[in-house]
Amino acid sequence: MKKLVLMLVLVLLAGMIAIAALPADAAKEQVMRGTTMEGGTYMDWMKTVYNRAGNPDVIQMPISTYDNNFELHPVAAESWSVSEDGLTWTFKLRPGMKWSDGTPLTAKDYVFALERAVTQGYDFAWYWSWAGGVKNWGAVESGELPLAEFGVKAVDDITITVETTDPKPYFPGVAAFWFPVPKHAVDKYGDEYATKAETLPCSGPFMVTQWVKGDRIVLEKNPHYIGPWQPMLERIILYPSLDNPEVAFPAFLAGDIDGTALNVGQLAFASRRFPELMRPNALFQVYYLAFDYEKPPFNDANVRKALFYAVNRDEVTSTILKDVAVPARTLCSPGFPGYSEEIASQTGFNPTLAKEYLAKAGYPDGKGFPKVDLWYRIEGGYHAPIVKPLAEYLQAQFKKILGIDIGVKGMELKTWMDGLTSREHNFFLSPYMYDYVDASNFFSIFQSGGRHNWNNAEYDALVREANSLSEWAVREPLYIQAEQLIVDDAAAVYLVHALENKLVAAYLKGPGQEANKYGLYPQSIYYTWCNTYIAKE
Amino acid sequence: MITFFIVSIVIFVMMRSIPGGPFDEDKMPLSPETRAKLMQQYGLDGPLYMQYLKYMWGVIRFDFGIPYQSPGETVTELLARAWPPSLVLGGLGMLIGTPIGIMLGIAAALKRNSWIDYIASIVSTLGITVPVYVISLVLMLVFAIWLKWLPTNGWGSPRNWILPIAAYAIVPVSIFARYTRSSVLDALNKQFVVVLRSKGLSEWKVIMKHVLKNAAIPMVTVFFPMFIGIATGSIFVEKMFRVPGLGNYFVTSIFRRDYPLEMALILLLTLMVGFAYMITDILYTLIDPRIRVKSKD
Repeated sequence: MKKLVLMLVLVLLAGMIAIAALPADAAKEQVMRGTTMEGGTYMDWMKTVYNRAGNPDVIQMPISTYDNNFELHPVAAESWSVSEDGLTWTFKLRPGMKWSDGTPLTAKDYVFALERAVTQGYDFAWYWSWAGGVKNWGAVESGELPLAEFGVKAVDDITITVETTDPKPYFPGVAAFWFPVPKHAVDKYGDEYATKAETLPCSGPFMVTQWVKGDRIVLEKNPHYIGPWQPMLERIILYPSLDNPEVAFPAFLAGDIDGTALNVGQLAFASRRFPELMRPNALFQVYYLAFDYEKPPFNDANVRKALFYAVNRDEVTSTILKDVAVPARTLCSPGFPGYSEEIASQTGFNPTLAKEYLAKAGYPDGKGFPKVDLWYRIEGGYHAPIVKPLAEYLQAQFKKILGIDIGVKGMELKTWMDGLTSREHNFFLSPYMYDYVDASNFFSIFQSGGRHNWNNAEYDALVREANSLSEWAVREPLYIQAEQLIVDDAAAVYLVHALENKLVAAYLKGPGQEANKYGLYPQSIYYTWCNTYIAKE
Repeated sequence: MITFFIVSIVIFVMMRSIPGGPFDEDKMPLSPETRAKLMQQYGLDGPLYMQYLKYMWGVIRFDFGIPYQSPGETVTELLARAWPPSLVLGGLGMLIGTPIGIMLGIAAALKRNSWIDYIASIVSTLGITVPVYVISLVLMLVFAIWLKWLPTNGWGSPRNWILPIAAYAIVPVSIFARYTRSSVLDALNKQFVVVLRSKGLSEWKVIMKHVLKNAAIPMVTVFFPMFIGIATGSIFVEKMFRVPGLGNYFVTSIFRRDYPLEMALILLLTLMVGFAYMITDILYTLIDPRIRVKSKD
């Protein structure tokens, strides 16, 4: 017995001596440590967006990008112009651009990026065919027309022309997601060039120097970068497996990383302990209820209107979603082009009206209403503290106000999306976040042939016309009219806009770490990482 | 062999019956043309039976294909990269935790209802009931945040391994403490122990050479399957401590519909579990001569 206890004590002592003897990691200057998306396949935005690895949006130079005030800046392009009919854009690139391996970066690399996407298949194809309206995208993709008919051309090494099917005055903003692809690397290694640091030429402010799968991605300042905002950081170390605040927050507390997102449980603690390090951001994002508009019970607008007026948005955002969401009374968030006070004033909690609409639909006090399940997406990030509590709140609220029973089911993304697109399910808690700063981004959600099967010809005509005009003063009233149709028909039941809270170390300084003109910290990565430095103590 | 093929068919069918595919639609639905091109890229455009036969033909030649979530390497290369961290940390956790658990169990059995028995009972109950991600967080809080003795996570240096090994070790410590205590107590009540003591053998020899051997069967039954489970990586421990191991892939290969990797992982697990039970059966005959005699009969 004594021998056993002695052995146990010796083992513990040996362990402690071993721990003390091991060398610790040394800190580096102008080195920022952060997190990035976990998993992912290619570090190539033009190959895959939803399965991308790391941050391909900072290692390559986009045509344009947004700063933290959502103002658009030319990046790879020095300037752009549009033809009189609004159908042809001409982008003039910066001369002298190079890839990190010294190869010249020209217009052909940008054109190749879209040519490869249209011919090979691209999970973000809708963005270019639908939002960008690139001419003949669909026909070239299906093989009806040859690539020579594609609406994107390199005129010379620094000139690109883009033809669109309709006028797209916001196209330069769409081009914020237009990154080049190194054709010389693809010719040598195939698409797998974007799976290893050694074969990945970069054009952006940072280049990949190390990529240890499952462990870290190391970016270093790209000496060949000649775009705006020369980076002040020398190196950025990204840890994909710290993508969740549950693991990132302890790492931040221990000083192992320089910033972290927060979940709702951590938010209360962090707000009290580190109020000066909090970085709130109102996302241009909306949660709304969506339906199968062709099948009962939601094919009846009265049912949708009953739900529309049964939601107490102020109550839910001041209680269970406090500090993580604000009421959504319109499709577009306040501050986003397309937001309308006139529409917002119509979105309110009115239980009497809600009951009347349900009775009109033939379900007085909810009698006879079929049991339906509300599907929400199980996702991390800013969604995590919102979706389940919101869905459960709606379940309770609809029971209390309308007397209807709804079930709540969390579905993983692919199953949820499959249920939506295949119309196999009829009731969704649906999120949508902006891609580019223009009203057309959100209004396209409800166009026919888009995300939902609410097919309204008048809405389509209004949005198509608004999308094609160049003056905002002329476009805005058309969007308001279009949104009035959504509200009148309760095509969407607006719920909340998400807030995001991050914690950032005090020694991260620079314009990228300052609040924007709205007092928020959007953290547009390209702008933020170029305009951040480590302040010496 | 039959089990292997049945498992392969079941997993193949189950994976393809889940909605969605290896590519994502998030904002807008994919056009039929885009979907067709992506299906072709992933080799998912042929009939199901052809896809199965093609995959299994590769398996027979040890070619498990390319994982969709890591296209720059083959499944074999991914396993060769991701398995060693899980094997090292999980293996060390087992190798450290098992003897500690056994010693704790023996001490608890010898000193029933003493302070050491209560400590062993608390440790084993907590270790079995408290989820491993909670234990991991507590370890991180105490040693990395409060005491700042160790980093919170990572894989780079041996300092990073200590907390995940401790988290892995809790499981064998708890289980073996409990199993050993009850098996040793059972063996201590046997006649042969009285005989051995009366022959003048030291208590140490009675316990280590004779009692433990008689108590070993339940521990051997548990050891190898537990080893397989831990050595293929715990998603919780690896996630909490940022270990680039295999555990995470068991989950991501389902969420990302990574058919080649998911098939390879399940087939690998099937083989290893079968192997573990075979080794266990062999060890039974070595430890307990009565089983050898019964087998001969």
